[in-house]
Amino acid sequence: MTAAELSLQQSSIIESIRESDISINFLELGILPGKEIKLLKKAPFGGPMAFLIEENIIALRQQEAIMINLKS
Amino acid sequence: METATALQTKTVAIIGNPNVGKSSIFNQLTGLNQKIGNYPGVTVDKTVGFLRIGEKEINLIDLPGTYSLYPKSEDEVIAHRVLNGLGQEKPDFALVILDACNLERSLLLGTQVMDLGIPMAFVVNMKDLAIKKGIQIKTFELYKLLGVPLVLTDARNNEGIDAIRQLMATEKFESPKPLLDSYAFADKALVEEVIARFGFINPYQAFQMLVFGEFDKTLPIADKQWLKEKSLVFGFDRKRQQVRETEARYVKIASILKKSVDRVKIESSNVTISLDNVFLNPVFGFVVFLGIMLLIFQAIFAWAAFPMDLIDVGFAGLSGWIYENLPPGVLTDLLAEGIVPGIGGVVIFIPQIAMLFGFLAILEDTGYLSRVVFLMDRLMRPFGLHGKSVVPLISGMACAIPGIMAARNISNSKERLITILVTPWMSCSARLPVYIILIGLTVPDTLWMGISFQALGLLAMYLLGVLFTLLGALALKFILKTKEKSYLLTELPIYRLPRWKTVLLTMFNKSKIFVLEAGKVILSISIVLWVLASYGPSGKMQAIEDEKTTILQTTPEAEWSSVEELYASKKLEASFIGIMGKAIEPAIRPLGYDWKIGIALLTSFAAREVFVGTIATIYSIGGDVENELTIREKLAKEVHSDTGEKVFDKATGFSLMVFYAFAMQCMSTLAVVYRETKSWKWPILQTVVMTGIAYLAAFITYQIFS
Repeated sequence: MTAAELSLQQSSIIESIRESDISINFLELGILPGKEIKLLKKAPFGGPMAFLIEENIIALRQQEAIMINLKS
Repeated sequence: METATALQTKTVAIIGNPNVGKSSIFNQLTGLNQKIGNYPGVTVDKTVGFLRIGEKEINLIDLPGTYSLYPKSEDEVIAHRVLNGLGQEKPDFALVILDACNLERSLLLGTQVMDLGIPMAFVVNMKDLAIKKGIQIKTFELYKLLGVPLVLTDARNNEGIDAIRQLMATEKFESPKPLLDSYAFADKALVEEVIARFGFINPYQAFQMLVFGEFDKTLPIADKQWLKEKSLVFGFDRKRQQVRETEARYVKIASILKKSVDRVKIESSNVTISLDNVFLNPVFGFVVFLGIMLLIFQAIFAWAAFPMDLIDVGFAGLSGWIYENLPPGVLTDLLAEGIVPGIGGVVIFIPQIAMLFGFLAILEDTGYLSRVVFLMDRLMRPFGLHGKSVVPLISGMACAIPGIMAARNISNSKERLITILVTPWMSCSARLPVYIILIGLTVPDTLWMGISFQALGLLAMYLLGVLFTLLGALALKFILKTKEKSYLLTELPIYRLPRWKTVLLTMFNKSKIFVLEAGKVILSISIVLWVLASYGPSGKMQAIEDEKTTILQTTPEAEWSSVEELYASKKLEASFIGIMGKAIEPAIRPLGYDWKIGIALLTSFAAREVFVGTIATIYSIGGDVENELTIREKLAKEVHSDTGEKVFDKATGFSLMVFYAFAMQCMSTLAVVYRETKSWKWPILQTVVMTGIAYLAAFITYQIFS
């Protein structure tokens, strides 16, 4: 399961970040394996998603959210 | 001989994550003693602040906010170059601002700076928030583990700022032991070769050089090539090693924080999340956004009008005063008709620019601007734009220059280029005076359901600008090619009250940049224009002068002023600019313009707002200053000399407005586009395409309404 599949207010734990050109961008924002992630908001019409990771709110598009693998 | 004690000058680079309060600290320390310049070869502004502590002079370099020292945009390249003294003198010390609530993340950057080996100190900011959240930082423990002096601050409330001053005065910076062993991520032999080539003092600098090599545009080609070859020879995979480095860093940071930070679970209501329930709501979010935009518009159009009128009246009065009190002559004319109106034409935009940047600073400072990115990204993407394009585009409504500069935040180069290219189509404030005069001349001042037709006309011009901005972006989306993937990965910072000092400083700095950058162009054009309008081929001008003298001798004194005005206009027609205006008249006739409007078009290629000044000059030059009517009244009376029809009728007025909506008529914008794209290709393309479309659209408009 990836972060893009979370439903609103649902939480999970990050298992890994899929390797890509922007993996480093996830890491430097503190999106790390083992952290709790919760979906807070979705922009309408398939727009960006806002996640709560630790105490920071991070906005991602769906295409980035699918790079976050969650623990099942 | 005794000399005064020499001032000791030290340079301190200040760096930190975005939204960590870095600019707050910088502003508290330096106040108005700031200078904005450029780094060579890149578009990042170089902000240096100056402060004096006792006998010590400190130059504080404000580095761009960044999450890490990895090459992602020019911001990181600048941080890397400054901290390693590449192409400039290396700062004596580094001050890294950490977020007390986010120590783990801010230490990623913090420990990278540690590993570079520069003497440094940490400022742990937002301690007030951390306390509220139940985060207890054991300062001494943290100092022991990191080996870097720490200062705790709450910059918003000015707490701890004196401690930072004290720290700089006593130079309590330390060079800590590196956190990571760089040889774990790059071959020792490779690192040693890089150290030798660039004269570095430690291996992490060499690692950074390898990582930044292909990204740093300002690096000499030979060095780039060398780094590339060496990376190949030693099989150094930049991206892989960066990820490894980051992971290793987070492991070490976690173990440090475990020993030095206690967390007490405090159940508190989360204001930010509650506010986001409104601001990011799929319906209310957009309503609030629209409401805020309306408020900003109201401010720029209505509230700014009062100070603008004062400036207008003030400069007109000054010109009159100069005529009355200075001896008549060329210099007086130049002052009263060239220089004073020229400066007035620059100053008049300050209220609008200051207000827009004031609002933008408030939106940014409160954390709302990131929410705009979140809300608008989906709407922008079909046009090849990014959620982050919204800010440059909105800024473009005040002035394309800061808008284009704000496009730096967009990391994808195609989206950034599209934003830069289309921003000048947003209706900037320089078009506003043109629209206001022309709408006043051509749209009836009547109400429709309580709304003024003139206001609707203005709204229509703005919507036209927005529409073509988006259509232009859409066209460019298909024309420009890129391999880069677009992504959105951004923090939505917590909501905070705006810091008024920061807001006021932004307003001041942005107005200053406008006056200095655009003002120079506008003022010089005003003077050139005055010369071109006052002088012509000498034989012709003299002949008109002689003719006037002869006629004056035979006319009664009461009619002298009308004779004067007639010959003033004849002289203008014979002047250099009259000749130029007439030369282009055949080309602009189909758009409904005569040679006088032609002159205004020519001068407007320097900057749109020059239109008003030019028109004012053309219709008032040489006339009696006592007899000055407002520009609009004067223009309304203007008729074609051959047909006796009004010059500014609906067809010509609308056609002119459409021309001004689309044409690229701003030298300052072109200069900024060149600076931002580092190529003349784009500004030239912009000029040709935009002006071509303007010509076509104005032609169609004129044909429809005439």
